Amino acid sequence: MSPRKAFDEARLMLVGLLILIWTLIPIYHLFVMSITPQAEAFAGAVWPKTPTLDNYTTVLTQGHYFLGHFWLQLFNSAMVAVAVAVLTLVIGTCASFAISRLRVRIGETVSNLALLTYLIPAAFLAIPMYATMGQYGLLGSRWSLILTMVTFASPYAIWMLRQYADKLPYELDEAARIDGASPIQIFWLIYLPLMMPSMVAIGTYALLLAWNEYLYAFLLLSSDTEITLAVALGHFLSTDDAPWNLLMATGIIYALPPAAIYYAFRRYMVAGLTAGAVKS
Amino acid sequence: MVSLAQDVAPSSRSGRLSAEATWGLIMLLPYIAIFLTFVLYPVGYGLYLGTEVKAYQRIFDDPIFLRTLANTVIFLGLAVNLKLMLALLLSGFFVHERRWIRWLSFIFILPWAIPSIPTILSFRWMLNAEWGMINSLIFQFTFQDGPGWLLDRVYGLGSIITIHIWKYLPFWTLILVAARLTISKDLYESADVDGASGLQKFLYITFPGVRNMYITSTLLSTIWTLGDFNSIYLLTGGGPADSTQVLATLGIRYAFGMSEVRAGVATIIVALPFMVPIVVLMVKRLRGEDR
Amino acid sequence: MRKALGLILASTAVAGVAGFAMPAAAQQTVTVWFTKGFYEAEDKALYAFIDRFEKKHNAKVQLSLFSTEDIITKTVSAVEAKTPPDVGFGTTYDFRTTGKWAFDNKIEDLTDIITPMKDRFLPGTLETVYLQNGTAKKKAYYAMPVQQQTIHTFYWKDMIEEAGFKASDIPTDWKGYWSFWCDKVQPALRAKGKRVYGVGHPSSIAASDTFYSFLTFVNAYDASPVDKDGKLLVDNPKVKQGLVNALKDYTEVNLKGCTPPSSVTWTDTDNNVNFHNKTTVMTHNATISIPSSHLDNANKGDAQAKKNYDELIQTAGWPKKPDGGTLPNLAAVKTAVVFADAKQKVLGKQFLAMLLEDENLNPFVEGALGRWFTVTKAGADRPFWKDGSDPHRKQVYQQFITEGTIPFQFVYDYHFTTINAENVWGRAIARVAGDKIPAEQAVDEMIARIKVLVAQ
Repeated sequence: MSPRKAFDEARLMLVGLLILIWTLIPIYHLFVMSITPQAEAFAGAVWPKTPTLDNYTTVLTQGHYFLGHFWLQLFNSAMVAVAVAVLTLVIGTCASFAISRLRVRIGETVSNLALLTYLIPAAFLAIPMYATMGQYGLLGSRWSLILTMVTFASPYAIWMLRQYADKLPYELDEAARIDGASPIQIFWLIYLPLMMPSMVAIGTYALLLAWNEYLYAFLLLSSDTEITLAVALGHFLSTDDAPWNLLMATGIIYALPPAAIYYAFRRYMVAGLTAGAVKS
Repeated sequence: MVSLAQDVAPSSRSGRLSAEATWGLIMLLPYIAIFLTFVLYPVGYGLYLGTEVKAYQRIFDDPIFLRTLANTVIFLGLAVNLKLMLALLLSGFFVHERRWIRWLSFIFILPWAIPSIPTILSFRWMLNAEWGMINSLIFQFTFQDGPGWLLDRVYGLGSIITIHIWKYLPFWTLILVAARLTISKDLYESADVDGASGLQKFLYITFPGVRNMYITSTLLSTIWTLGDFNSIYLLTGGGPADSTQVLATLGIRYAFGMSEVRAGVATIIVALPFMVPIVVLMVKRLRGEDR
Repeated sequence: MRKALGLILASTAVAGVAGFAMPAAAQQTVTVWFTKGFYEAEDKALYAFIDRFEKKHNAKVQLSLFSTEDIITKTVSAVEAKTPPDVGFGTTYDFRTTGKWAFDNKIEDLTDIITPMKDRFLPGTLETVYLQNGTAKKKAYYAMPVQQQTIHTFYWKDMIEEAGFKASDIPTDWKGYWSFWCDKVQPALRAKGKRVYGVGHPSSIAASDTFYSFLTFVNAYDASPVDKDGKLLVDNPKVKQGLVNALKDYTEVNLKGCTPPSSVTWTDTDNNVNFHNKTTVMTHNATISIPSSHLDNANKGDAQAKKNYDELIQTAGWPKKPDGGTLPNLAAVKTAVVFADAKQKVLGKQFLAMLLEDENLNPFVEGALGRWFTVTKAGADRPFWKDGSDPHRKQVYQQFITEGTIPFQFVYDYHFTTINAENVWGRAIARVAGDKIPAEQAVDEMIARIKVLVAQ
């Protein structure tokens, strides 16, 4: 290796090291706090004197007043996320099929409306959405959160799936039509199988969006048995014994499933995001 | 149904078409239902709530409102541009083909892949003036109390912008890496033959190649950053003394913290003249490129 | 496809059922929203009362419990949408909405149920629910007092001793009192290498503690910005000077570095947190929630918590006013209401009337471990408060019964609920402590803002 090349390589590594430190600092702190006993929680140490896994035990056994419904809340998060993913996929595939393959005339209008919705920051709709849910009598029910998240996930789903659908050769449909296939048969037998990879990407996207949501979850849900884990984490801020070590342990448990799902479907996600989120 | 079927293109194939048109409409129905009940109605209701002139008087009378507007502009200007410039630089790093860089990119994406509540709260605890890790370290080494990272406007906004960039930098880096990868390698090779410097290559090959994407990203990121509620709410809560509020958090504070729903809606509506043109521009860009 | 439609239809159906749930058979249902208790005993007492009520009136009570913050948000939005419950009880209603609801004709006149039991209430309670209705242009009892709070001081006896002082060294004069914590105790402990602060001094706009404490300072200078008839007094030079003095004294603690720097961002729990982990030697707080949380832990078998509650934490009153007089105790009476748009107004009123009966109210109030004080004479006469065996409750009894209390300004003019919600006081504190402007200027700004809000 020439000195010049070695220098470049060293420079690359230095940058890499900086990136690594920058990325890991808050995560490292999260981890350190999660293994810190309550007595040391206010010490601000870089590494606890007596690291412990007790916090995790407390969380998993629901051994604190604020964790009394931990498993139920974890289930709520999962239930909401899965429901949002399924509903978003159903809505997205149907709509994209109608727009791209059946070429319904109002399809373009719907597609534009969806795109417009995609571009409105979700936080801006919070106040009217809260009022609307109150009028529909859905406040406090997990359905309100599910329907809200479907509302925010499906425009992106339609937009993305449509991009993919447009790339499928139209001749396939033609051939099937000549063989006498009905639209629903084309949908089931040709469209869905071909769209599988992008559906995985969209399903993951919707799942993560719903799992990670905080603002709407905390506005729309209130009882301890309906809230998701994200809201429960926020509740820790209003305790007066400030068990931040438990908060952080809960936070890590809460962050694991989406991280795992992301890495499992990373290939699809990256392709999907770069193709659809921002089209160049 | 007959009249609906007439809405359908192309008209050359009749007969079967009405079946297809019917199915097409049915399949659009779920989204249309969602759109009407959960987008159109709430937006309409929001705009209706926002028709009260008194509410605007109320918010413009409030001494914190103009500061909130200024904060929003500062936050958008710094967070969006710093983030994208960093993303552009880092994308140059991540396009290098090394095994360890692939592993690093794996870790680098973490902030974006995991939920923001635990990480922002972690950051918040770390920055606590009395017992956070950073000020404890400063105290250990200097026997001085460190700065109040979340306790005044400048530090507060700085911390907010930092955590925002930390969270969203990976995503935009990924996007710009993808853009860079579309640039033909031949261009760089011939530039090397001509003896072009790194800067020249960046200015004459890389930047023109990613410029379009960079602008799109800036616009999109501006809209999304405008709606970033978590970075502010979970880190400073808009404090101290409402000095780090932005429009998205102030609207929520009015509506839910002070039970003044109309003032909350008015706060959001004030952002629309700024946001709507960007949204329209974006729709045009995305649709235009779609063709 | 069918599945999709099915799901949409199903979810719409769910919406319909949830929104218009009909009561079973002829039994009447009364919808009740309550603040969730801090301790299990509170909720248990409530359930037991509801059982008795259901049997007596052959009615069904549909109860929802919300957290302190949630209940206000959810009730306000339900009232706005004209779909309120029949009965609401929120521990922040009085601060935020009761006065405004009464003025806007959103809640029922409860005079008919309150009049027969008028003599049972402690002095200082009914006054706070005698509110102005802007539509009917009359004053009447628009809410039911349920429990109340006032502001106390707390300190760690062991920390004072560590600093080389005794409890009896704490001055009772105004200036000397605050100087003791800031100029004596804190430096003594700092000299021992402790990173501690003399006072936990709520100074943010996010905390209601801030206006509770600040308005107590205002009372120390007899500078209430509004009189009993709702007349604004801020242009009175004496009142204005009093406000300036109060603001100067309040922010002196911040400017001296005698409270944790983070107190400018504290929420209501943070002065508790800082006190619990001994970052501060003393703090002032409305309700005795600080010792109560140690009692709660002690009841769960925590020996250190028991020691803290029994020996180390002292609950105390306030020093004398700067002019040497007795500082009045600022009390907030927690109110329950029946909404004007309620479907079951009669049953709702019966619910509140029955809640106030001794056998129902006492277990509910006492379930809070002393956090809330009772509103009835009979309740105050019970050993729980009176026998003096509990050092913290003894102090509460002392302040409420022996010394007496005065109400907040919002009782006289509902606009002060908005002024408190916006925390005009906290803003003035931030202007002086944070932006370092003179107190005179901050008070001018504060008064200008109060005038704007009162005019709205």
